[in-house]
Amino acid sequence: MKKFDLELAVGLFIIAGIVCLGYLSIKLGKLEIVGERGYEIYGVFSNIGGLKIGSSVEIAGISVGRIKSITLNNYQAHVVLNFPKGLKIQEDAIASVKTRGLIGEKYIDITPGGSEKDIKPGGRIRETQPAIDMEELISKFVFGKI
Amino acid sequence: MHLAYFYRGLLLFFLVFGMAVPGLAGEPTDQIKQTTDKILSFVSDPALKAPSKTGEREKVIRQTAVERFDWEEMARRSLGRHWDQRTAEEKKEFVHLYSDLLERTYMDKVEGYSGEKVLYEGESVDGGYATVKVKIATKKNADIHVQYRLKKEGNKWLIYDVSIEGVSLVNNYRMQFNSIIIQSSYENLVKRLRDKVNQK
Repeated sequence: MKKFDLELAVGLFIIAGIVCLGYLSIKLGKLEIVGERGYEIYGVFSNIGGLKIGSSVEIAGISVGRIKSITLNNYQAHVVLNFPKGLKIQEDAIASVKTRGLIGEKYIDITPGGSEKDIKPGGRIRETQPAIDMEELISKFVFGKI
Repeated sequence: MHLAYFYRGLLLFFLVFGMAVPGLAGEPTDQIKQTTDKILSFVSDPALKAPSKTGEREKVIRQTAVERFDWEEMARRSLGRHWDQRTAEEKKEFVHLYSDLLERTYMDKVEGYSGEKVLYEGESVDGGYATVKVKIATKKNADIHVQYRLKKEGNKWLIYDVSIEGVSLVNNYRMQFNSIIIQSSYENLVKRLRDKVNQK
């Protein structure tokens, strides 16, 4: 009987563990699921400085979208962004590649524009700013000093 | 000093003067070159060099630069979401104030030109929009990358944004204006711009 109880307990424990794991996965994975229901637009950047698929897209500091895909197109970065359906991006919005802190991970920041026209699904964000090469900038200052 | 060096590069985004590099020069590049060469000639003109001629010199530089910029487009983009909420009167006032601000901020930098070479690195045209890439070769051999964004109006290409080393002028002001309007009010932004313009 004791052995049976022990095995039962272990079995239940494992099942509980798997259920918790499943719950956690769904909770975290939920972000991706929401993304699937949104729409996509793309931008072309001369340099994305190590931006990754899944990196966040922010407006006013809030993560509102995700990077869906990144491809090299004509030696430039073709980045597809995914947004929830209700979020409109104006035609003259500016998308810049920014860094967390000064040397952290990259993300895309969008400043809303003033145009009445919105970018349609599958459309393009024309105004993009590349990642700033901090090292290069610093070396220019240093160089200049000499 | 670091800042002086960087500002020298900044001043040139208004000018874009210098040697033509063969290849990839289309309409937008040509028009920018025209404006640039013209301003350069005023800045280098010995007849206008005297301090007493400053007013006249600034006037002709301003007139030439004004033709190449689409001030309303720049002002609208810089105000972003807040543009729509303005009355026609306010919009007119803002465009005027904005162009004054840019002029006061960058005029003396334009006048600080001292022989830097400008190389045209190519352009790309997409319907009624174009970008022109430019490299400014400063004396210390460090290059500054500038990118002009233009929009076609009739048969003229007008500038609506300038990026220096990947930092956009419109985005810069858009973030600041937005921040000020949200934290206080549009009226306060106008007041601050007026103060800044009158300061000089």
